[in-house]
Order: sequence, then structure tokens, then C-alpha cells
Amino acid sequence: MGSLPAAAHQGPAAAAGALDFPVAGQLTVIGLCALTAYLAHLALAVFNDGVRPFMLDFLHGRTTRTATGAVSFGLSAGFIFGLGAPMALSSGVLNPWLVFLPTDLLGILAPRKWLAPVLGAAWGAVVVFGLKGANEMAHELPVDFLTAMQQMATPILFLFTLFPALAISKQFGRLPGAVAGVVELALVILTMKLWPKVFAGAPAMAAGVLLLIGFAVAKDLRQRRTQRAGTAEERPAVPDDDPMVSLFSASAARLRRHLPLFMALGAGVCLLAQLHIFGGGEATSFLIAKGRSAEAAQVDFYRAFGFLPLIATTALASGAYGIAGFTFVYPIGYLLPSPWWALVCGALVFAVEVLALSGIGRVLGGLPSVRDSSEQLRGAIGATLQLALLFGSLLAAQAMGGGLGILLVGGLYLLNEAMGRVVVRTAAGPAAVVVGGVLLNVLYWLDLFTPLTS
Amino acid sequence: MTKILTGGVGKSEVAGQVTGLGLPGVEIVVSNDMDAAVALRAGRADYFLGTCHTGAGASLGVLVGLLGAAVCHTFGRSVPSTEQIEALLDEGKRVFGYALDQMDAVTPVLAHALAARTA
Repeated sequence: MGSLPAAAHQGPAAAAGALDFPVAGQLTVIGLCALTAYLAHLALAVFNDGVRPFMLDFLHGRTTRTATGAVSFGLSAGFIFGLGAPMALSSGVLNPWLVFLPTDLLGILAPRKWLAPVLGAAWGAVVVFGLKGANEMAHELPVDFLTAMQQMATPILFLFTLFPALAISKQFGRLPGAVAGVVELALVILTMKLWPKVFAGAPAMAAGVLLLIGFAVAKDLRQRRTQRAGTAEERPAVPDDDPMVSLFSASAARLRRHLPLFMALGAGVCLLAQLHIFGGGEATSFLIAKGRSAEAAQVDFYRAFGFLPLIATTALASGAYGIAGFTFVYPIGYLLPSPWWALVCGALVFAVEVLALSGIGRVLGGLPSVRDSSEQLRGAIGATLQLALLFGSLLAAQAMGGGLGILLVGGLYLLNEAMGRVVVRTAAGPAAVVVGGVLLNVLYWLDLFTPLTS
Repeated sequence: MTKILTGGVGKSEVAGQVTGLGLPGVEIVVSNDMDAAVALRAGRADYFLGTCHTGAGASLGVLVGLLGAAVCHTFGRSVPSTEQIEALLDEGKRVFGYALDQMDAVTPVLAHALAARTA
């Protein structure tokens, strides 16, 4: 894999395949942005899980476009500038925060139906041309901080492996957590020894996630049995005319009515992932940039379990789906051999997801521990990535500027913490590398810093 | 007695933070969005504090749909002042969402304001 990085950092042109990617990739991004803004305008889908709950009032005309737009801006701005932009700049690969959060906002704010896709497409153009330009320019600099950013991949890959064990510890206590940790560690060592070609974390993550889901389902079933045994339980049973049930079924029916639009959306998102110019998760951009799509697929596949219940319940409570659905189209896209397959599979996956939504909601309603597990998974993903990205950022800092680099990057990270986290914590490290890299280049021009020869 | 429920990604941490403040007349219970929505509707709880990465998705989720946006508020990633919280409580807000990475700053301000309403 050692020879790939330099080429893979040239942006869209680096991906190999059947189509002419610079143009096809750009057109895909622009077209998809037009579609996602249109769907946001119709309140059919938004990317931001936090904005989705507010779409119900919008749908029923209880609130205005401007007010919903303000909510969307308030909840997205930090993630666009604090997460999406630094991640994209540092990896040279697009991500959902940079691409889809602004189209949520533009679509919601657009006063006319036709204007939404126009604004979306315009944003898509800004993203592809802006990122490509910034990326190419950064590679020309005497201190090439983008190449240094590839140091991120190793800590991400290895630390991310342990996230199921963390989630198990927090949800089920020390002993199950310790057991899961030992099982995972043993599997990593075993994989490295027996199948050196396989990504060492893959079997461990699979085992960890299965353990977590197993524990949660077992707990829920046990609870349901005891509830049934003791008839007059203080915990009230959910009545049939539950307002939650009627809310959920109305939303599911609304989404089913627009199935063709969702299939088009699924096809587009899957194609974007297939082009290898896009990473769906916090960790994946750096893996895609290094050409490690199989590993990226595994990371995003397991990540999806942390978000599935959240996306399902917010979609059913609001009548608006997720722009990336349950995010299973990301890993599927990374792995598919051709763009045409991505279009077909993406459409089919979204069709299945939308049709299964009300069933999934019903099942989740009865499984509180499983819903809890998904929250613990998201918490654990955050914790592992926080450490991995900070550590990776310091490795990158050392690669680009030695001790001075570490001082700049680590210092900027600490400063962000002290100032009340202007930048989202997850992105603070990568953002510090970008700023630190620029500062090192300035110091070079001032003749105050000599770039390290690597 | 004010009963506060927590939910979302940082639900146990928030419960721990509030317990640590040792506020009189406040009971804090770890819950989840669906159960909390039902409990608040039925009047079996007074407030809900939700946390997640955005401060609204998993924090508010089902609650906005079930209780209506009128009683829900998200601080997103911002840290509110006591005056802001007071104003929101006067408006009738009972469900609050905020971001995980601002949890340490938001929880105490919010909990003190809610406890002050009890007395």
C-alpha cells in the first residue's frame, strides 16, 4: 500500500475505474447535491439527525421555512466548518458533513421548489472545484501537510477496532466489557498471525458488535419475560392507541409514497461512495484517501449499527428520512466494482430500507436495550475517534514539523479546548494540523523553519 | 420534587453530573427518548435532558414529534446563560437537548435553573 498515497491524494483523478472520473465525479457530486437539496425542500429527507425531528412541524405548516432554516443552520454550522471542511481539506476526500449539511440548509431555505436543486447544484460545484483547488495548492507547498495527514490512518484503524468493547463496558459493566476487550484483542493478534492480508480489526469488530447486540437482545427478552410473568407490573404496557404508533405509521406511509425519489437518492449516494472520492464516517476519509476501501467499508458498516435506531426513530417521528438512509450504501458503494452496480444496488438498498422502516420501528420500540446499545456504540465511536484523531494529528505534526509541529498542533488543540471548543472536538486535531501546516509554511517563507527531509 | 429524565448518548454522564451537584428536591433518572416521551406526556416526569453529537438528533428525537416543538429546545453546541434558560422555562420548555462536547458546561447551569424552579 506504500506506493499509493501520493497518487491517491490528487483528489478525484486518482480513483481508477470505467468512467472518466474527474468529470464523472464532479457531475455526480453536483447532480446529487441538486437532488438532496430538492428532497430537503420537500421535507422528505435531511442529513442532520438533529434537524430531522423539527421537520414534522415544518411539514404540518406549524413553522416557517426561515425558522426551520435557522434550526438547520444552528445545528449544522459547527459540523460544516468544524468537521466537514477540515476533514475534506486534510484528506482530499469529500464527506457527508461538507456535502449534505449545506444542501439540507439550502433546500429548506429555498423559497421556490425549482430554486432548491439550483442552489444545491451550485453548492456541489463550489465543493468539487474549491476542494480540488485547495488540495492541489496545498500539495505544492514546501511543507506538504496533506501527505503528513496520512499518519492518521493507523491510529484510526487500530483504535476503532475496540469501540464495541467500550460500548459493552458502559452498558453492561466491567466484567462483560473486560471479556469483550480480551476477546477482541485475541482476535486482532490471531488475525495478524494467521491471515496477515486481512485487516486485523475486522474479525474483532464483528465479534464485538455481535456480542453487544447479543447482550442487548438477551436483556430485552429477559425483561419482557419477567414483565409477562408479573402481570401487574408498575411499568405500564403500551396501549394500542399509542400516539407513538399512529405518528410512526403516518410517517412510514408518507415515505413509502415517495419511494422512486428515495431510490434515486440511494443510487446517487452509493455512486458517490463507489467513485472513491467520498468517505461516509469520521474515520473513513483518511482510509479512502489511502486507497484502503475494504477497511473503510468495514469501519462504516459497523458504524451504521450505532446510527440505525436513531435514524429509524427520528425518520418515523418526523416523516423525513436520512439523506444517506441507514448509511449501509456507503460500505456497499466502496466495495462495488463498477459505478453501474452502485446505481442499481443503491436504489435497491434504499427501497428495502424505506419499505422496512415501519417494521424496524415496531421492533425497536420493544427493544429498549438495543436502542441503548446503539447510543453506547455512538458514544464509544466518538471516544475512540477522539483519541485516534488526536494521536494521529500529533503523528502528522511530527512528520511535517518535528517538535515545532507538535507544539503548534498540540497547542492549537489545547487552545480550542480552553476557548470552549469553537471547533467540534473530533475535528479539532485535523483542523489543528491544517492550521499548523499553514503556519509552518509561513515560517518557511520567513526563513524561520527548514522543512524536514523525509 | 422535580423529576428529571436523561436520554441520548451521554445520559448516564449527565445523570452523574446532576447527582454530583447534590441539588435538593431534584430526582434524576436515566431514561431514553421513547420512555421519556411517554412519561412526560403522562405527567410522570417534569423535564428531559438529552445529549448527542448535534445536540438535537438523539437528544430530542422522538420527543419533538410526540410532545411538539413548543416544549422542546436545543442549545446545539452553544452554552446558555442562566437568563436564557429562565426565559425558555417561562415559555414552557421542558425538553432540552445539547451537544456531548459541551456537556460539562451546560449540565450544571441547566440543573441549577431547574432546581431553582422547584423551591
